[in-house]
Amino acid sequence: MEQRELTSLIETQNLTKSYGKDRGIVDLNLEIESGEIFGFIGPNGAGKSTTIRTLLGLIFPTSGSGSIFGLDIVKKTKDIKKQIGYMPAEVNYYHKMDVRELLDYSADFYDTDCRSRIEELAEIFTLDLDRKILDLSRGNQKKVSILQSLIHQPKLLILDEPTTGLDPLMRAKFFNILQEENSRGTTIFLSSHTLSEVQKLCRRVGIIKEGRIIAVEDIETLRKKQLRIVQIEFPHAVKNDEIDCPGVIDPLANLNNLSFMFSGEMDSLLKALAEKEIKDLIIEEPTLEEIFMHYYEDKSEKERD
Amino acid sequence: MMLNKNIYFKELKHHRTSFIGWCLSIMVLILLDMALYPILMKDDFLKQLSVIFENPFLKGLMTAFGATLDGFVNVLGFYTARNSMFILLLGSFFSILLAGKILSQEEHEKTAEFLLTKPVTRIEIVWSKLAAYFSLLLTLNIVILITGFISIEIFKGDSEYRLAAFLIHTFYCFLLMLTVGAVGLFLSLWIKRGRPTTNISIGIVIGGYFIDAASKVTPKLDIIGYLSPFKYVDSSVLSPEYGLAWWRILYFLGFSLLFFTLTFIFYKKKDILI
Repeated sequence: MEQRELTSLIETQNLTKSYGKDRGIVDLNLEIESGEIFGFIGPNGAGKSTTIRTLLGLIFPTSGSGSIFGLDIVKKTKDIKKQIGYMPAEVNYYHKMDVRELLDYSADFYDTDCRSRIEELAEIFTLDLDRKILDLSRGNQKKVSILQSLIHQPKLLILDEPTTGLDPLMRAKFFNILQEENSRGTTIFLSSHTLSEVQKLCRRVGIIKEGRIIAVEDIETLRKKQLRIVQIEFPHAVKNDEIDCPGVIDPLANLNNLSFMFSGEMDSLLKALAEKEIKDLIIEEPTLEEIFMHYYEDKSEKERD
Repeated sequence: MMLNKNIYFKELKHHRTSFIGWCLSIMVLILLDMALYPILMKDDFLKQLSVIFENPFLKGLMTAFGATLDGFVNVLGFYTARNSMFILLLGSFFSILLAGKILSQEEHEKTAEFLLTKPVTRIEIVWSKLAAYFSLLLTLNIVILITGFISIEIFKGDSEYRLAAFLIHTFYCFLLMLTVGAVGLFLSLWIKRGRPTTNISIGIVIGGYFIDAASKVTPKLDIIGYLSPFKYVDSSVLSPEYGLAWWRILYFLGFSLLFFTLTFIFYKKKDILI
């Protein structure tokens, strides 16, 4: 237990934030280890940004507590932020400034010399440093945001929906940079509403829904959940309950076709199928997105019961 | 060190252009208005205006703006009565508008998310912004002092005046601007995000100004006048006893300090919702 505390970089205990009509977050318990890339997944409005803003001290927890680098997120927020790079979901900068001015302003808050890094990253992302912020497209503003979060070489990157507005090429470059940063030991907390986008980067994901964490999983475990998508074509019309075998999930019949997810023993499925007359059979591995969706609906149904 | 130089200098730079505009406007108004003084003094032109001052209704109106015929004849009386309007009103507008947005603009334009995720405490943010506001307000008042002094010296003719009275009056004006600024800064914390503070700021200054003006016209309203900070600026510059009154200074500094302190306390705990 002691050992674990030493390695966890972000830790929250029953972190709760409620305000106004917004749901906020409820009893959030998170533990993010030093050096990992953690994906924070959930639909819009689930509480991702609220979590991040609470961690960064923009808003204050209603109850519960949290720490980053072992420092309290409310009391030691300045010390924490010395080591953090943050990319907000929506980029808003001082319109009067040009890009270089903004990055210099940002850099001057830190002790590290950021000049060479600014030039280096501007070249990688083909960003014109002399343009006015106001004149930049959303994609280019996003690039400024990327640079702004990286130039002081932080130990922890907190990225809130970082890829929206980036074209695929820039996204690839950005992910390369993130992997580079990570291999240098930077911990990355990556929030997104699509799992497929971050699955290549992340080792672990936390899934948040309606302000609560519903699962924290290794990507590998999630992949190995043995969930299969089964599609069968029969010579005749079928009903939903055509196949009677434990492990069949959400069967859906459409004329001669039946499709379902399957999480049981493959052997028993094949034996059940052997009794039937079948025209065609497809068994495939679902995308992480599908696993995730399944997981998700499952949990929320249980919640409702 | 509470002051973050980075924020301080950024603020000065950010408001540079509009600040120069304010300075130039006030300077031009003071100079133009004082240039009227020798013209009005010529051929006893002012005496012809005595009809206006004897009309009971107009007399009241003129009193409201701090003008009396005797006061007008003296150069400092003229400066105080005529220019107080520009200096006090414009200076207060400048002060309350700047203070009202220097902090809240970060939320209004959603840049607070950038600033508050930098390694800087909220106390440091307020201090640095307050320091920038104070520097600009002080500079504006130095500009007013110099322009006022020069214009009086150029146009005074034979009229004599007490330099001390001029300095004290200018100091009162500065304290008034500081006080309305403190109120503006504090109020800007409570304005809902996405709404600028301009309207309420202008309303406060105009409201305060007219409460004070009304109290001068009707003796019955004298008490109400004390609700307005404008009432605490002593404009009786020609009175031989004119000097610094501790209770006036205490009023201005007390309220400024109160609202600045409250700003620190509330901003420290405020949820910044973007």
